[in-house]
Amino acid sequence: MVSAGGGLGGIGAYLPTAVLDTSYSFVRMLIAYALSLGFALGYGYYAATHRGGERVMIPVLDILQSVPILGFFPFAIAVLAMATPGSFVGPNFASVFLIFTSMAWNMVFGVYESLKTLPADLKEAADTFGLRGILLFRRVLFPATVNRLVYNSVLSWTAGWFFLVEAEIFTTGTSTSLSGIGSYLSYAASDGNSAEFLAGILVLVLVIAILDFAVWRPLGRWAERFRYDTTPAGEASEALPGRDASGRIRRATMFVTRGVRTGMARLSTPFVQLALIRARPGHTASARTRSLVYYLSLGAILVLLWLLLIALGVAIFDVFRGPIASTEQHDIALVPLAMGASILRVVAAYAICLAIALPLAIQVARSSLAGRVGLPVIEVVASFPATALFPVIIFGLVPFLTPEGAAILMLLTGMIWYLFFNLLSGIRAVPPDLVEAAHAYGVRGPRFLRRVLLPATFPALITGSITAFGGGWNTLIVAEYLSLGQHEQLSVLGIGQLIDIGTNLGASGYALLAVALLTLVGTVVAINELIWKPLYRRAVTQYRYD
Amino acid sequence: MALIRVEHVDKNFASRHGSIAIMQDISFEVKDADFLAIVGPSGCGKSTLLRLIQGLDRPSGGQIYFRDAPVDGVCRQMAMVFQSFALYPWLTVSENVAFGLEALGWSPGRIGPQVERYISVIGLDGFQEAYPRELSGGMRQRVGLARALAVEPAVLLMDEPFSALDPLTAANLRDEVLQLWRDPALPPEAVLLISHNIEEAIELADRVIVLSRRPGHILAEVPVDLPRPRDRKSTAFYDLTDRVFSLITEGAPSAASAGANGAPALDKPL
Repeated sequence: MVSAGGGLGGIGAYLPTAVLDTSYSFVRMLIAYALSLGFALGYGYYAATHRGGERVMIPVLDILQSVPILGFFPFAIAVLAMATPGSFVGPNFASVFLIFTSMAWNMVFGVYESLKTLPADLKEAADTFGLRGILLFRRVLFPATVNRLVYNSVLSWTAGWFFLVEAEIFTTGTSTSLSGIGSYLSYAASDGNSAEFLAGILVLVLVIAILDFAVWRPLGRWAERFRYDTTPAGEASEALPGRDASGRIRRATMFVTRGVRTGMARLSTPFVQLALIRARPGHTASARTRSLVYYLSLGAILVLLWLLLIALGVAIFDVFRGPIASTEQHDIALVPLAMGASILRVVAAYAICLAIALPLAIQVARSSLAGRVGLPVIEVVASFPATALFPVIIFGLVPFLTPEGAAILMLLTGMIWYLFFNLLSGIRAVPPDLVEAAHAYGVRGPRFLRRVLLPATFPALITGSITAFGGGWNTLIVAEYLSLGQHEQLSVLGIGQLIDIGTNLGASGYALLAVALLTLVGTVVAINELIWKPLYRRAVTQYRYD
Repeated sequence: MALIRVEHVDKNFASRHGSIAIMQDISFEVKDADFLAIVGPSGCGKSTLLRLIQGLDRPSGGQIYFRDAPVDGVCRQMAMVFQSFALYPWLTVSENVAFGLEALGWSPGRIGPQVERYISVIGLDGFQEAYPRELSGGMRQRVGLARALAVEPAVLLMDEPFSALDPLTAANLRDEVLQLWRDPALPPEAVLLISHNIEEAIELADRVIVLSRRPGHILAEVPVDLPRPRDRKSTAFYDLTDRVFSLITEGAPSAASAGANGAPALDKPL
């Protein structure tokens, strides 16, 4: 905070505006969530129950979800441009669309996976009684999806807040700016008004906390009933209806822990989920043995679709703003270099994340005290959208960290939780007998880490890395370039920066925007296909212990 | 009249390496008031056979009849009890028992009393509103049994129903199944039990059909003439168990045992 414009005592004066702006944001979230829910049920159900549909729909979704969410910006921008400045519908539609892209995929895969992994005997039992149609959906198929839908919804909301704030900050200062908590916070920060800023953070924290306590926890307890994984014998007694308060509290904590942990571990990694489904015994092997030709042709089709989408955007643009003027040749030439810089930056942030998350996860998993006290705190912090603090990072920390340091810090906030929660669930899932056997043979310390813990958590490490990188790509766009006022701005060479510049240039920046986005999307898809997927396949085949 | 007639049934599964024969030329009958058990080594297609009989899957060759009508699609006169119980965790005990009745299109007014009746027959009183997760394995299988009986099937198909239970619970439940079968006022008329436990089959059944290793075919049909209740420690029981065990382990069918009727009685020494 540069200066305390209103003084801390004046927080109250800003609360009404903060509440109003947050409610705008909340309504956007609600609409995007409703759309995601409907989409997830429809798409997931169809893909899971129709062989032909599945063959096309799942690979398409796989690509869609690995594309950075901001890759959908050209479409959103075209819509923004169509809307006359000051229009209400256009910008709101664009932001709802962005939030939708951050919420929907993970829920679709939740529905799809629930239906695909529904135990065969539950399906068969319904068949023996001749259930079909509406009754089958109401009694069997829909209940089967409820548990995963609720858990994935918690995560969709966490991701949604992150991108909602990001999208609102992103549009600040443009002709199509959105009223909402994100823009509220960036205006407050650029005015250097601490009281105004703190009022906004306070309201946001309250809304998230109320949602958690009043909606997600009760829903989560209710959703426990819809779990169909086989319960170990010991757990049966624990799940007996405990009417005492302590039991209720324990179950509530269990839900939060499970929710955030498993959710974070799964968010935006549908292809990981897919690999798991395919690795399950009994799953038809056909999905695993697709030819290279299949993937190449699928890739070609998607690239073509992407180009068409961009062409469509340009065409819409032409109609409204006239033909594209001289493009920024210089900036387009910078794209490869910028992409390289961004990759290095994400890798650096990843290395720092790993250095923090691994010891932290080991500590939390292996010490009951750290687990009991530290974990709830970490979960609360993780569910708060770090993007809301970005304005402060820029105004308060750039002088100390240099722009490069601030950019990496922001990237870090968008990456670390995926890694941490995946590692945590991985470490906790190590069978106790493997740990006991190691101790029985006197294997301790670094040797234990190297011989037992790290190999056993390798799949979780890969999953966490994939999701962390996904988070990193999505954060680039605000981490590399953020301009909030006349004087304060952050700008470091990178693909996110070029995308921002291209967007801000309006019509003349459209070619730059298209090239930069295509490069980013292509790079991300290539890294996923060439590095992460093979690594993951190795991880699940070589380091499984079931 | 036979309740179920299985005539020269073959089943093949398609695999990457072509077609694999699961079972070959299976023929037998389930008569009124029959308690028939099918035993065999794992992988011999016992469970597949049960699914073919219910109509969940079609045979690759041959035909299955229920009361002289070809089984075409799921036969609702039979009800299955599963090894894994296959209860829906999101439905209460009552709702699980009502599951099949709903599918039959019964009105809620008729479903209620029927569910209550079978819950009480099976000894689940007081657990109506419990969820399967809250029950022990034995209680869960009781729910599975009540669900199957509630639709009042002519034939109860049981797929390794006692395998997932501890020995004591399994013994109790076996007794109750026998009582149900012998009670003329209650369904089912006949029971077809799949088991890999030879003693269990001999303790319960009138006849035991012994299947070979894959591709499964009938090695013998062994009548069990021991008086009930059967004493597992008796010499006669032991001898019979030993015979069936030898049949399975020695395995190879003699030309004679695959006779014209498909299932010759085993009355010659092995």
